Amino acid sequence: MAKDRTIRILVGTRKGTYIVEGDTRRKAWKVGPVAHEGAEVYHVVADPRHPGDVYAAVNSTFWGPMVQRSRNWGKTWKEIGTPLMPAKKSRKPNYGDPAEAKWALNNLWHIEPGLPGDAKTLYLGADPHLLFRSPDLGATWEPIESLNNHPKRKDWSPGAGGACLHTILLDPRDARRLYVGLSAVGTFRSDDGGETWKPTNKGVETPFLPTKFPETGQCVHDVVADAADPDTFYRQDHGGMYVSHDRMEKWTRIGKALGDDFGFTVASPRSAPGRAYFVRLDGQARVTGEGHFQVHEWNDKTRTWRKLLGPKDFPGHFGVQREGIATDALDPAGIYVGTTTGQLFVSPNAGKSWELLPFGFPGIHSVSIANPTEG
Amino acid sequence: MLEVHLDSWLREFGPRGKEQLDADSVEHLLDALEGRYPKLRFKIRDENGQLRRYVRVFVDGEDVSRTTGVATPLAGARTIDVLHSIAGG
Repeated sequence: MAKDRTIRILVGTRKGTYIVEGDTRRKAWKVGPVAHEGAEVYHVVADPRHPGDVYAAVNSTFWGPMVQRSRNWGKTWKEIGTPLMPAKKSRKPNYGDPAEAKWALNNLWHIEPGLPGDAKTLYLGADPHLLFRSPDLGATWEPIESLNNHPKRKDWSPGAGGACLHTILLDPRDARRLYVGLSAVGTFRSDDGGETWKPTNKGVETPFLPTKFPETGQCVHDVVADAADPDTFYRQDHGGMYVSHDRMEKWTRIGKALGDDFGFTVASPRSAPGRAYFVRLDGQARVTGEGHFQVHEWNDKTRTWRKLLGPKDFPGHFGVQREGIATDALDPAGIYVGTTTGQLFVSPNAGKSWELLPFGFPGIHSVSIANPTEG
Repeated sequence: MLEVHLDSWLREFGPRGKEQLDADSVEHLLDALEGRYPKLRFKIRDENGQLRRYVRVFVDGEDVSRTTGVATPLAGARTIDVLHSIAGG
């Protein structure tokens, strides 16, 4: 793999895709030209197995969802296979209750490259609550029928953002273990490569349902694995902030110490295992509370919180969505947060200092990082 | 022969401007159009064959998108417009 010290911030917005380039000092950034102009881009992600490959979940208001790929860090893009778009004339399949009206694919939410030893697998999460796997880097897609036609599916309903499957996590030790997060349904784990799925929401509260701890129905917003311990996960749920140390068998609420622990997004840096960054939002207004931008760091070893920004740093009320925070792989970690009003905040030193990029993006849906390659 | 006017925003996937096609219904017209320009598949219609929410089809100036839709017969028709609707923000 060629050595490349460029670090790239991949930004999916309400009006297209942007790639922002800098170097490992993370002080100066160059915003590239917009791609997919005018389309809602819910997720942009680099494939670390193939440097230069970037995937975008593009949702055109007019022309529908499209998986797009660049093989040159975003200089050019091409539409590749999109699920429910079979090569043959057939327009099947249609998911959901067979007795109901036919379903169309609404939006693409999350693209997850496979493990390093599995060079061609991709996963894709979509609305309405669908999971797909591609064996050929997105040329074709196989529906994961065991989840897409889950026997309890008739009880699943969409959240405010739709019936989105937005989180896909792979166990780096075992290609057969994967986790998914579905809005207004919760998280599931498969230990057999997607053949069967177990709900994993024990301990997660549902303040919007009459039952306090149902098996499913939790509105998970985002989940991330700890960098050093693949059995540990940090979860931002509609019902608060949680940690699990046992492959999501049970969850412990950690956010109560913050008062209101609503939010949409969480990240955990590779260089600092046991840490997680949450963007706490006011549960009713859905913007940062107390009149300023804020990020909180959870230390899982000491079980304590640290507020990384003060009221004078960036006054205002900022919304941050479920793919809105990312960390890089450097030490100290860079933290990157995109807002619904188009600000992109960067900390090059694990939250010690922050800067606001001098560029107004359209409302930001997603932020992810393409890390430098080692050479 | 029908004259089909396509939205300029569809240039990324299909022809620029006008096309000449023969078809007896909107469905068959779109089938023929997608046959010529495969990238148009699933852009105008979803995978159930229905017009996408923010696509409008006009037959001789009449919007059929929310009435007879893809089943609209084209006997005697002369011009078809395929346009995006007012949406977004």
